[in-house]
Amino acid sequence: MDYFEVFGLPRLLGIETAALEKTFHELSRKYHPDYFTTASPAEKTQAVRMTALLNDAYRTLRHPVRRVEYLLSVYGFKPDGSKVPQSLLMEVFEINEQLEEVKAGRASIEEVDSLRAQIKEKRERFDTELQLDSLEWDELVKSGAAEAKLKTQLEKLTTILSESSYIRNLERDLENAG
Amino acid sequence: MPKIVGIDLGTTNSLVAIAEDGVPRVIPGPDGSMLVPSVIYFDEAGTTLVGNRAKEKMVEKPKNTIFSIKRFMGKGIEDVRGDLPLLPFEVSPESEPIIRLKIFGRDYTPPELSAFILRELKRNAEAALGEEIKNAVITVPAYFNDAQRQATKDAGRIAGLDVLRIVNEPTAASLAYGLDKRKQGTIAVYDFGGGTFDISILKLSEGIFEVLSTSGDTHLGGDDIDDTLIRLVLGQLKQQADVHQIQAIRRAVNKAKEDLSAADRVEIVVQELPFRQTITREEFNRLIDPIVDRTVRPCLQALRDAGLKPAEIDEVVMVGGSTRIPLVRQRVQELFGRVPHTELNPDEVVALGAAVQADILAGSKRDMLLLDVTPLSLGIETMGGVMSKIIPRNSTIPASATEMFTTFIDGQTNVKIHVLQGERELVKDCRSLAQFDLRDIPPMPAGMPRIEVKFLIDADGILSASAQEQRTNKYQSIEVKPTYGLTDEQVEQMILESFEYAEADIEARLAIEARNEAETVLNATAKGLVDEQHANISEEEKAEIAAATAQLRGVMRGSDHQAIRQAIERLSNATMHLAELIMTAAISKALKDKRVREIQ
Repeated sequence: MDYFEVFGLPRLLGIETAALEKTFHELSRKYHPDYFTTASPAEKTQAVRMTALLNDAYRTLRHPVRRVEYLLSVYGFKPDGSKVPQSLLMEVFEINEQLEEVKAGRASIEEVDSLRAQIKEKRERFDTELQLDSLEWDELVKSGAAEAKLKTQLEKLTTILSESSYIRNLERDLENAG
Repeated sequence: MPKIVGIDLGTTNSLVAIAEDGVPRVIPGPDGSMLVPSVIYFDEAGTTLVGNRAKEKMVEKPKNTIFSIKRFMGKGIEDVRGDLPLLPFEVSPESEPIIRLKIFGRDYTPPELSAFILRELKRNAEAALGEEIKNAVITVPAYFNDAQRQATKDAGRIAGLDVLRIVNEPTAASLAYGLDKRKQGTIAVYDFGGGTFDISILKLSEGIFEVLSTSGDTHLGGDDIDDTLIRLVLGQLKQQADVHQIQAIRRAVNKAKEDLSAADRVEIVVQELPFRQTITREEFNRLIDPIVDRTVRPCLQALRDAGLKPAEIDEVVMVGGSTRIPLVRQRVQELFGRVPHTELNPDEVVALGAAVQADILAGSKRDMLLLDVTPLSLGIETMGGVMSKIIPRNSTIPASATEMFTTFIDGQTNVKIHVLQGERELVKDCRSLAQFDLRDIPPMPAGMPRIEVKFLIDADGILSASAQEQRTNKYQSIEVKPTYGLTDEQVEQMILESFEYAEADIEARLAIEARNEAETVLNATAKGLVDEQHANISEEEKAEIAAATAQLRGVMRGSDHQAIRQAIERLSNATMHLAELIMTAAISKALKDKRVREIQ
């Protein structure tokens, strides 16, 4: 059972989180191990496994980036950091040097703020791109597009994730440093 | 359904509670006291006292009066080295990986010592309820790691309790506060106890208590405040204090600390020295400020992980004795911008919540459900000593992750996996949890085996793993070597050694337990055989179920509990696929019903 099936959803990326949460709560009320205290060991094990699957699915699907990552993995695609344009790597390298200054405690508050804004701006650009291409995936699936077209779209999503992972890592490092 | 009690196994005090007709209450001991001090006194003859009577011996018999043992749970000696100078206990030379205390020539691990407290609570509950108590829910700090949780479960087993669930203390407290009367909202639980600090952020909706994030420090509590005051007194003495004197100072400063919650100034009086000194609340606040300050960072971390700002928290709940300190209340109020709840007794609220959770497990309360999280990220060691996270912190539990492993040498038949908990990047900065040794891999050229390892954190926050070689579909055996824990054999040995049970008793008890479990498994199997999904398993599987059933029926009348256990395991494995099909079918049906409802 894949994560979409757990929630009875088609493999689309536009997911309404409020509805997802509602189903999550309903299914939790059915399968949570708390309700299987007096059951047999096999049933208990199943309840734990099912609830774990439900929780894993919810954690993945409610998050717009992890959701795309998961969809790609279902189709055998994997973001690869080594296949990104040289220009992006240069940019990342520069930001990283500034980040090192922050980590070493040599940056002023203004410099940290400006770095944070710079990273955020880049990340938001990727977010928008990801959102648009996610919508396009949904349109293609709904219109019954040919397999080749779907594959191209998955490749496009893979590229965005490969590239944005650098920025996300930088953002996380900055959070941890601060 | 036999009664299930809720137990708060605290650093300073422990309590047992029960819910009757949906209302939780604390069960007092024979002396009428709700709190059982977590203190154990041993005498030369091997008799023990637990609770208030043991606490009276702390100054007179410091070496053999054990307190604050919770701080040692799941720890090695290196973890607690900093505490030892002020503690009167004798540490055994054999204290790695698990710390052991030497009492009259015998070594005790923290779970064995905690078991004395649990047995006392069990007896108190049995006396008050008039029946044998075998099942319990035990609370732990939310920020406890795997080893500390496992140690608590082991303590329960050694005390003769079946620990049905390990519950996080702040979450339990939120259950007790009756906040479910409020239909929606966010709650922050600030739990500052004797030895540990936790902060949990919860979201409440229609009876579901969903923990969004948790953070804390399992080595930060009232004990640290006491230690600061002890050092203050020691600094003013002209002579070196012995263990008796240190214990006398501990008692005196503890009283001064408690009195300062109401008074503006108190006198620290240690008659044994003698020593007298007045301390004002202002001076006290200045002394403890760095300690109280250490609770702020985890609060901010938990808020950030929950994606909330302080102003978005609807209710703040105070738990633990240290929240009586005015400075603590003031700091929390500043942090969240609202007056925290202090209506319930902060010493009792966790035990009451544990009783509510016990009531849910007993099946009498289906409207409430607790969805808790794992406090620390789980990861495995990869090349270059790097920790690779596979289950992030604050994931709702149960949670799982699947990883693929292979071999590096032709014909290699075992693979080692190092499992860790923590947030840092390097293995050396994380907490080692266990070594998993995958065995009996079918010999193949290097890189050919594809071993899928499934890591599962259960509802207690405890890890287990199963492995399957993908080409042969064979389940692999895994030997688990806990880094800071006891093996099953060691726990069983401790049950045997606990003088409460003669060897014959324990054999009989284990056989009865195994037989009861066999009955449950056989009943469940019988149900499965008449389910429509039975048609969907292979003839081979059906034959194995029949054979395993026959074997179990054959051995269960005997007294060999190991043979019964083995037969149970065989039947459980044989019915696993069938149980999976039944569960999957039930889910599909639930989703279908839901859609039908929504369309209507």
